[in-house]
Amino acid sequence: MRRVKKYLLKGLHRLQKGPGYTYKELLVWYCDNTNTHGPKRIICEGPKKKAMWFLLTLLFAALVCWQWGVFIQTYLSWEVSVSLSVGFKTMDFPAVTICNASPFQYSKVKHLLKDLDDLMKAVLERILAPETSHVNATRALNFTIWNHTPLVLIDERNPNHPIVLDLFDNNHTGSANSSLTPGKICNAQGCKMAMRLCSINGTMCTFRNFTSAAQAVTEWYALQATNIFSQVPQQELVRMGYLAERMILACLFGAEPCSYRNFTSIFYPDYGNCYIFNWGMTEKALPSANPGTEFGLKLILDIGQEDYVPFLTSTAGARLMLHEQRSYPFIRDEGIYAMSGTETSIGVLVDKLQRKGEPYSRCTMNGSDVPVQNLYSDYNTTYSIQSCLRSCFQEHMIHNCSCGHYLYPLPHGEKYCNNQDFPDWAYCYSDLQMSVAQRETCISMCKESCNDTQYKMTISMADWPSEASEDWIFHVLSQERDQSTNITLSRKGIVKLNIYFQEFNYRTIEESAANNIVWLLSNLGGQFGFWMGGSVLCLIEFAEIIIDFVWITIIKLVAFAKSLRQRQAQADYAGPPPTVAELVEAHTNFGFQPDTASQRPNTGAYLDEQTLPIPGTPPPNYDSLRLQPLDVIESDGEGDAI
Amino acid sequence: MAPGEKIKAKIKKNLPVTGPQAPTIKELMQWYCLNTNTHGCRRIVVSRGRLRRLLWILFTLTAVALIFWQCALLIFSFYTVSVSIKVHFQKLDFPAVTICNINPYKYSMVRDLLADLEQETRAALKSLYGFSEIKSRKRREAESWSTAWEGIRPKFLNLVPLLAFDQDEKDKARDFFTGQKRKVSGSVIHKASNFMQVHESKQVVGFQLCPNDTSDCATYTFSSGVNAIQEWYKLHYMNIMAQVPLEKKINMSYSAEELLVTCFFDGMSCDGRNFTLFHHPMYGNCYTFNNRRNETILSTSLGGSEYGLQVILYIDEEEYNPFFVSSTGAKVIVHRQDEYPFIEDVGTEIETAMATSIGMHLTESFKLSEPYSQCTEDGSDVPITNIYDAAYSLQICLHSCFQTKMVEKCGCAQYSQPLPPAANYCNYQQHPNWMYCYYQLHQAFVQEELGCQSVCREACSFKEWTLTTSLAQWPSVVSEKWLLPVLTWDQGQQINKKLNKTDLAKLLIFYKDLNQRSIMESPANSIEMLLSNFGGQLGLWMSCSVVCVIEIIEVFFIDALSIIARRQWQKAKEWWARRQAPPCPEAPPSPRGQDNPALNIDDDLPTFTSALHLPPAPGIQVPGTPPPRYNTLRLERAFSNQLTDTQVLDKP
Repeated sequence: MRRVKKYLLKGLHRLQKGPGYTYKELLVWYCDNTNTHGPKRIICEGPKKKAMWFLLTLLFAALVCWQWGVFIQTYLSWEVSVSLSVGFKTMDFPAVTICNASPFQYSKVKHLLKDLDDLMKAVLERILAPETSHVNATRALNFTIWNHTPLVLIDERNPNHPIVLDLFDNNHTGSANSSLTPGKICNAQGCKMAMRLCSINGTMCTFRNFTSAAQAVTEWYALQATNIFSQVPQQELVRMGYLAERMILACLFGAEPCSYRNFTSIFYPDYGNCYIFNWGMTEKALPSANPGTEFGLKLILDIGQEDYVPFLTSTAGARLMLHEQRSYPFIRDEGIYAMSGTETSIGVLVDKLQRKGEPYSRCTMNGSDVPVQNLYSDYNTTYSIQSCLRSCFQEHMIHNCSCGHYLYPLPHGEKYCNNQDFPDWAYCYSDLQMSVAQRETCISMCKESCNDTQYKMTISMADWPSEASEDWIFHVLSQERDQSTNITLSRKGIVKLNIYFQEFNYRTIEESAANNIVWLLSNLGGQFGFWMGGSVLCLIEFAEIIIDFVWITIIKLVAFAKSLRQRQAQADYAGPPPTVAELVEAHTNFGFQPDTASQRPNTGAYLDEQTLPIPGTPPPNYDSLRLQPLDVIESDGEGDAI
Repeated sequence: MAPGEKIKAKIKKNLPVTGPQAPTIKELMQWYCLNTNTHGCRRIVVSRGRLRRLLWILFTLTAVALIFWQCALLIFSFYTVSVSIKVHFQKLDFPAVTICNINPYKYSMVRDLLADLEQETRAALKSLYGFSEIKSRKRREAESWSTAWEGIRPKFLNLVPLLAFDQDEKDKARDFFTGQKRKVSGSVIHKASNFMQVHESKQVVGFQLCPNDTSDCATYTFSSGVNAIQEWYKLHYMNIMAQVPLEKKINMSYSAEELLVTCFFDGMSCDGRNFTLFHHPMYGNCYTFNNRRNETILSTSLGGSEYGLQVILYIDEEEYNPFFVSSTGAKVIVHRQDEYPFIEDVGTEIETAMATSIGMHLTESFKLSEPYSQCTEDGSDVPITNIYDAAYSLQICLHSCFQTKMVEKCGCAQYSQPLPPAANYCNYQQHPNWMYCYYQLHQAFVQEELGCQSVCREACSFKEWTLTTSLAQWPSVVSEKWLLPVLTWDQGQQINKKLNKTDLAKLLIFYKDLNQRSIMESPANSIEMLLSNFGGQLGLWMSCSVVCVIEIIEVFFIDALSIIARRQWQKAKEWWARRQAPPCPEAPPSPRGQDNPALNIDDDLPTFTSALHLPPAPGIQVPGTPPPRYNTLRLERAFSNQLTDTQVLDKP
């Protein structure tokens, strides 16, 4: 213990043996010996220049501090710089998702939609030709569907008093208008079509207005069809959709032949069976090493337009989308159409944006930090903002309407909405769909993914097959598919697709940190060097001086305290009070330290001894004289310690 | 206190010479080199031997040169930009969408105005190509017109005759109407055709534009008669239409209810009231969605086609003008709300009996204006007045520039662009030779002779919607049966006919996703960066800083100049003294007289003056020396004292 204390004291003593014993000495020494450029000039100039240099040095020091502040602030703002690269390289061919615009084959779903179709036909007749069809319209129609969400005409010719007319004014309207057929008194100008959506037991109703009858019936039909299909198990639905072997007639990837077996099937509620080429779920993704049509994917599809569900979709064509491997295709949002009877060539440029995550930009690497449960994770796909938004919507739907919407995947233990189990779901859904607040909460909750890949497509079209080649092409394809000599294909159903990489197939924008630590240090150094010619070592020098400063202060304080105590204790001594320097010596001298308490008389004697020669000598002399013996004592002390 | 004093004394000993007191420039330099903070200088002084000294001088100079070079590079590259690309996922404002029918006016309405022109066009077709058969069922009555035409005096062909030129002899042309050969002089401008050559003959068709005096004619020939007839028709068409008042033209064109059969946006129905009318001279009535003044801009919060704009357009092919437009469909353009839709330049065409789905991606760009680039923020600093009622864009500037020049040179305004204040559209009645003038001016504009391209600058910020267009058949075979009657019912009284699928076009415009890319420029360098780079350079080559620069200024300019000035002053003084001396050569002895008590004090000084290496005579010679002189003397003494001191100290 004692040894440690001794050692410490020795160390402190050594440390204290700095360049000076007073503040002034220290400062002068520092200014003279420092490597920073300003201070040296302060001490070696005349008084006026001294002041000027002092001010300049202060100014430069302030500037350096300010600029350092600016740089550190810039560094902490986490800016990014981007680098762009364009060119061609061997890349994984994008996953290609292909759907038919119609989700089901009408011949296979006819039995499900029979009631609805009859009703729809009756509605159309009622709208278009009210008088003629009125008699036979009321035949065996299933009015349970109709009564749930009827279509109505709103007569707005009198804007203050709109009249609501049910299209089938059988017994339930019961008003004075019931004898009149609505179509007779209304035409498109006077009346608006609307869908009446009612909550449980019909107390709360809203009307969804349409400006055109075509829209109204389409929306109405889609809503009812959703209700019907949501009650059918998915295996059944898959069977009713277009099958791969009927849809994909020919496939060629580069020089390699492929067939419908190379496509992964996925059921998509909007479009029925969709087929994904090169999804990369089970096997490695196929690369393409050359630009141009010859090295891309060539497909011939049959969309079977004659078998479309007539009221569900009015657009005919194949729907396709290019997307990354292992990502879920949101074909409704990002898909494009390919027209029948044409050859559609799609040149692809992969536009990739790679961002740094937090703290540089607000994005998520894999979606684990987003507070929305990803319902698409069942498909084993990566996170994307679309999946997040849809999951969020479904979450809201289940929360508000207590059932899930048919178009989105279900969380565990929930059911899809249908009229039987959830009678007011349509009202609830339409409310939710129109709600801006719901969308905004979802947008604020979902974060975009850090890696954003877009496939930029250059689309061009030509007629296919040509009139001259039509016959044999249809013949061959029909025979291959159906093993029959009859031609089962037509220009209305056939689609040819060429998907290939362009000459430049990638454009990558990559973020990197704009300001790294090296940048920060070099700029800090630059600033310090520019204004003061300083370096890190100068900072260390400065710190050293500060320590010395503190040390001197401590010594002075201790000495002061000691002198006070001594003055109290040795009031009887006749000699003059000891000088500060003397006390410092006494305090710091290692040799003296342990003795101060026990050998007080000795020190007293020493002081007495010192005071004796004073009278005759002038003060300066005295000082220098005193230094001499002290040095001797000091060395003695050190010798003792060793 | 004592050690402090000691150190002070030591410092005083070590730093005896303070800058400006150095007596000569050489010594000042030596002092500077020894005491400066920059490296290199000291080596020059300290080095022994000529070669080493020379080497060090070279090194130092090279370092200085390098510093200057590098700093110059830094300054010149100061105004560079760094680009950052940001992606935001957010609710996006839906752009304004302008939809036009390709045919500007209903032909049944404008037919009266264009009757003469049509007749003459048909006649020209007949005589040039032998075309008389009219297959179109609707235009059957026109046949009777063309037969009855014989007696009418052609007015348009006289103004601008259509000519058939012989390819071999370019200067001979046959006026197809009179049949006589004409001598063609002036320049022949050949317009390349987009179409295939129609027939095998070596004749080319064109027309001649002459100013009033007809001495300097410009002839425009086309490789194909299709182009020639269309251009010729367009010229006359513009001329006729320029005289029709705007209200009448709007009435002749399509109404919003006619054009838009159904409209659906973001799950809500919309109709003609959501569109604003915009009359385009070449496309008639166009309708802009989401561009209503004093109303909030609609926005989309979900991507996908059902949340965008879906419209079904009615395109009545029977009302098409056979000569003015040769394609059928509509044109659509996506633009900013305050932007002028240049539909003739950058529109996307839509086919009938098709669903055109247009997916959008939004990219915003922001450039830095002066001094980083030449772009302009709002066009206020471009010396071209904006004649459009829209925000500045490069296109607007170019068109405005051309129109202004047109009004200046030809005295009237071109029909397809808005009118500048106090100008009229060109027509034959008031401006008989505007066509010649227009064609000349247009040539000059295209060849950048008007200076418009150099005056107009691009705008600094712009929004760009990247469109992905795809087509699908619509309506499908099975849905056609019910859809067309319902749509016909929807149109109701607008048209009294059953809609055909070739009269309809479906258009879907939507955001593919809500990712907005912003490309932003930001200054690559700030003043802090520049200074720290300077610091880095100075430190690297010479370990120098601003302090050194101040030192250099102090030593090389202030001190050195003051030394030189002092020298000169001294010399001047000496010279003055010498000049003063001759008139009183007897002067020196007289001040030696002891009667002057003031000189007794100076008697102490000679010991010092001897150290000055100065001729003592002149100093003593001046008896009544004025105070200034005395002063300089004292100064000198001070230096010499110090000088000897330094010399002594330098040696050890």
